[in-house]
Amino acid sequence: ESHIQYERVGADVTMKCGSMDWDAAVTWTANGTDIDESHLNGSYLILKNVDLSQSGQYSCYEGSSWHLKYQTYLRVGMPPKEPVLMCRSNNYPKGFYCSWHLPTPTYIPNSFNISVIHGTKDMVCEKDAVPKNRCHIRYLQLFSTVKYKVTLTVTNALGKNFTTLTFDEFAIVKPDPPESVVAKPVPNNPRRLEVSWQNPSSWPDPESFPLKFFLRYRPLILDQWQHVELSDGTSHTITDAYAGKEYIIQVAAKDNDIGTWSDWSVAVHATPWTEEPKHLTTEAQITETTSASTSSFMAPPTTKICDKGAMVGSGAVAVCWTAGLVVAAYSVLFI
Amino acid sequence: MAAAESPSAALRRRDLCSRGIRLAGKMRADVVDLLDAYVERQGLDASASVAAVEGVPPAAVERWDEQTGTQRLLENLAAYRAFRALLAQMLEEQREQLGEADTGLGRALAAVLLQVSAFAYHLEELLRLESRGIPGEEGDGPPPPPRLSLFEQKLRGLGVLRELAQWAVRSARDLRQLAKPSLATDAATSLAESP
Repeated sequence: ESHIQYERVGADVTMKCGSMDWDAAVTWTANGTDIDESHLNGSYLILKNVDLSQSGQYSCYEGSSWHLKYQTYLRVGMPPKEPVLMCRSNNYPKGFYCSWHLPTPTYIPNSFNISVIHGTKDMVCEKDAVPKNRCHIRYLQLFSTVKYKVTLTVTNALGKNFTTLTFDEFAIVKPDPPESVVAKPVPNNPRRLEVSWQNPSSWPDPESFPLKFFLRYRPLILDQWQHVELSDGTSHTITDAYAGKEYIIQVAAKDNDIGTWSDWSVAVHATPWTEEPKHLTTEAQITETTSASTSSFMAPPTTKICDKGAMVGSGAVAVCWTAGLVVAAYSVLFI
Repeated sequence: MAAAESPSAALRRRDLCSRGIRLAGKMRADVVDLLDAYVERQGLDASASVAAVEGVPPAAVERWDEQTGTQRLLENLAAYRAFRALLAQMLEEQREQLGEADTGLGRALAAVLLQVSAFAYHLEELLRLESRGIPGEEGDGPPPPPRLSLFEQKLRGLGVLRELAQWAVRSARDLRQLAKPSLATDAATSLAESP
């Protein structure tokens, strides 16, 4: 007959060889390996200050016949510390869920029991199949000022512990982040980015329980975010982007009236539209276009013609060499 | 058989609902500010639990999503009429306590009372649009409670304001439901089927 024995880390463990007398001749094994006689006190096995590595199967055999007299599975572990509990409603007004975990492992099996009380009423939190440490409750009442009290008790063979959360209906409302965030450049607009997203699919009724949104964006090269709060709609056009710079953009959601902001959405990257770089034109092309409006040769205000490294001269007279070539071409034309 | 709503009535209802939602939002913001000021001024603990106060209509409702438009309007109207009387009572108590009406807290109470009255009127407008008779107010509201101690008055006031803050959220939700086109049919149906 096999047994399971749970012991605390650091405990001293004494194992008896079933009904054998103390002075019987026996051999103990741990996971099939003989245990040295120094650990024996008569037929008792003594394990001092056990640690996790000593978990395993311990067997006791009668000395001469090698009949198996006793077998036990030793599980070394710890009693549970106070569990960490969180409750949240990401599908308001349908209900809420609570999830939990232990701050440190116990190394032995634990069982969890959760109780939910609303005023004087006991409510059943139905355990989810996946993930395991989670259960959900449907709201029976809405707009109640009466708080919910959730108590989670964790028990194992070495002890128990518990924690309690008390909250009101509105406080735990936190939607999932917006989904399908897309950012696109706007043709012919070097400072704009068009961002769109969707309500989180877990939010059951955005029409009756509309969400508001918070958008944040920054160029990759800078650390500081710009923020925009949007009270309706699921799109926004950024109009102050730095031309040519790649942006990172995220969106968060919150119920219009209650609760807290969601986590940030998955980040998307986008770069505003930029004009195709102009190549140096031939003399013929310059002649052809001389009579055209000169504004056609003027770059948009935010588009750089050249990099700083291509500058010649200094101070007020500094010009970049490509601009110098264009000017030179003009000069040739008018000589 | 539900009567179809005329386009102009539908527009009017949506307009009234939108304005009502904005009113409810403003009212809630002001009630929350008033709650903070009340707790501080009255020396109360913000997290104190207050048992259900007699005469204060609870915002809590079961099967909220199954309510008809007319039910929503009638429950809201009854609630805000009750709050109108309760806030007037609080204002009176405030004056008795302090001997003058125009303290900051008194002014804030009066401002919220005004919004509650305006919202009740707004609800009556919506009921008229649903061609429902406006239910008469029962006397002057709830009978005056037995004389409470000062502390009991303060706790009661806390309960009133907390419940009012819940109602303001609920009312915005109710009006959004009412603004949905399908609810127009529900309201007309309940009208046709009501005795």
